Amino acid sequence: MQPFALNYARPAAERETATPYVYDAGLQLNVLLDGRIAAFDHALLRELGTTTSTAGSKTHFDD
Amino acid sequence: MTVLILTAEEDVTADMVVAHLNASGVPVVRLDPADLTAGAELSVEYGRGTVRGHLSSGRRRVSLDGIRSVWVRRPGVPAARAAEPSPWLTQEAAQALYGVLRDCGARWMNDPDAARRARHKPWQLRLAQRCGLPVPATVITTVPGAAREFAERFPDLVVKPVSGTHPQEPPQAVPTSRVAPGTDFAAVAYGPTLLQRRIAKRADIRLTAVGTTLLAARKEIPPDADPDEVDVRFAAPGGPWRPAEVPEDTARRVHAYLHRARLAYGAFDFVEDVEGTWWFLECNQSGQFGFVEVDTGQPIARTIAAWLAGTA
Repeated sequence: MQPFALNYARPAAERETATPYVYDAGLQLNVLLDGRIAAFDHALLRELGTTTSTAGSKTHFDD
Repeated sequence: MTVLILTAEEDVTADMVVAHLNASGVPVVRLDPADLTAGAELSVEYGRGTVRGHLSSGRRRVSLDGIRSVWVRRPGVPAARAAEPSPWLTQEAAQALYGVLRDCGARWMNDPDAARRARHKPWQLRLAQRCGLPVPATVITTVPGAAREFAERFPDLVVKPVSGTHPQEPPQAVPTSRVAPGTDFAAVAYGPTLLQRRIAKRADIRLTAVGTTLLAARKEIPPDADPDEVDVRFAAPGGPWRPAEVPEDTARRVHAYLHRARLAYGAFDFVEDVEGTWWFLECNQSGQFGFVEVDTGQPIARTIAAWLAGTA
């Protein structure tokens, strides 16, 4: 009784590493451990994929 | 006047915009509805024909009449982090927050009612058709015979979720997938199924629309790419996204789409075929943009910040 589309489902990829930044409520921004603003580190964002269009998110589906 | 951003703390993509607003000296209150009653506050009074009130998050506070714009990015479930969360409390918190904000006079990216409607993929396909955007032949059906008949006419098909959502128990992803010839369509009877003619693509296109500004990016498909990898989100990384010119006709039609959908922001996915035609796949009304900006250097965050600040 499985819907047709679910024949093509695969396990959702789980993020393997914790994000190396924390939210600073004062700045209203996420900052790295050395105090730099995480959003300015494009190499890091690319590596983490946190700004990437993904599928299977628990929190949203507007990718 | 303050920009109110509804999003989760970990939303680093929103940070890209907050940083621009900070640099411009535009006040920002960033509030996650999940924090209502646990770090975020709301208080509004209606009386003598007027309304006044405020929202606060942490040490930041904004009065209702001081909100310039509302950006609905990745808001959490209202009151999800309350001391004693419940579906009832979530309803109460959602009604209070969004009910109050709906009439505060601010501009929205995106208006919640427009956003809700715009999430429907079948509605998107029809609106795209009406606006003149090329849409691949598509069937949505619970009738196996209709699926078989469609597959006879269009033997090279893909299947994708109608809603764009994914099962969570257990967590699964349902990528757009190629349907092999001779596939048994009996299971179509167990759930609405969206089948679409596969477009042999030479590139994926992500067009990010912010107000009237269109920023397109193109990712070329390598000649040796696996033709079964139809979903760019799951394909091998390949080359980077690069800035692309938006064809004039496409730009006009995308503007028509946004106008009719009442959207201030939209992330359009197209595939480009071998003749250069951009085929509409979908428009995500809150689609990600950070990965495009990181690859292309296009000023998407700055454009969003300017729109929210009212300078674009």
